[in-house]
Amino acid sequence: MKRDDRSFRVALVADKYVNPPPGGVDAVAAAAQAGWGVIQLPADEYPAAVARRLLFEVAEQAEEFARHGYDLVIVGRRGGLARALARAGIALPDRIIPESSVALVEFLSGRPSPEALRMAGSADG
Amino acid sequence: MGVAFVAHCVLNQNSKVGDGAICAGVYSPIVDVLREKGWRIEQMPCPELAFAGLNRFWAVREQYDTAAFRRHCARLATAVADVIALRAERGEDVVLIGVEGSPSMGVTITSSDPRRGGRPEWPDGTPEHVSGEGIFVEELRRELTSRGIGFPRVVGQTSAIPGHDEAAQRAAVESALSGIDG
Repeated sequence: MKRDDRSFRVALVADKYVNPPPGGVDAVAAAAQAGWGVIQLPADEYPAAVARRLLFEVAEQAEEFARHGYDLVIVGRRGGLARALARAGIALPDRIIPESSVALVEFLSGRPSPEALRMAGSADG
Repeated sequence: MGVAFVAHCVLNQNSKVGDGAICAGVYSPIVDVLREKGWRIEQMPCPELAFAGLNRFWAVREQYDTAAFRRHCARLATAVADVIALRAERGEDVVLIGVEGSPSMGVTITSSDPRRGGRPEWPDGTPEHVSGEGIFVEELRRELTSRGIGFPRVVGQTSAIPGHDEAAQRAAVESALSGIDG
């Protein structure tokens, strides 16, 4: 497969960081700066049945990324996520509860190179 | 405040079909407009990612238009419609931001080629873009209709369409958010 501009890095991000309150940590901006993709987690206010369906889909997509060696991290907390990921058969990724956008960019930028990126690089070469 | 339901790949280009990602992760030209206008973001699942995987081939509508893929899209549409219903009940304005040219996420332009199949070797420039909705968008429309919820205004990311113009894309997104036809 030809390389494109993807980063092979995906952050599962709590809603409060995707839709931050004024002055809050904007994880979408941080991800854009650090070159990460974002999978949004359902808002805490959603009814349990609604959140459960959404988390099921998040976990299925995360499993596909994990199986292909993409780096996954969790930004923030979301009840039910660990269970959904476990049911999809993937271990809980590393997590950050970011205190600032700067801290989040540093965390994302400091991650090791994903296995998928190394494999894509060797396929190119 | 309005709520924009955005195609998965607007926030995560890693979900794109191989050779399809145009940036590392977040497609900022659309996110920037939503932030400037104060719209809430709701990311929809990628219909193709969990169904056909990261190593899927580029495909047109006819290749995805199977009973199994429609069941998959209907399941996703139920989850998305749950959230649209919650937002609509609160009187919030809702806009759907799809991906023009996509077999599943196109909102006014999808891709079609009834002859495509078999060993994947087709020449560049094969005309495949046609007016219409992608399969997930059709299933979402069906689900919202069954619940008596009006279909949101739509606009699409146009980066895969020949002649893509970022300024025109921005104007279209702004127009959709404002509810005033451009």
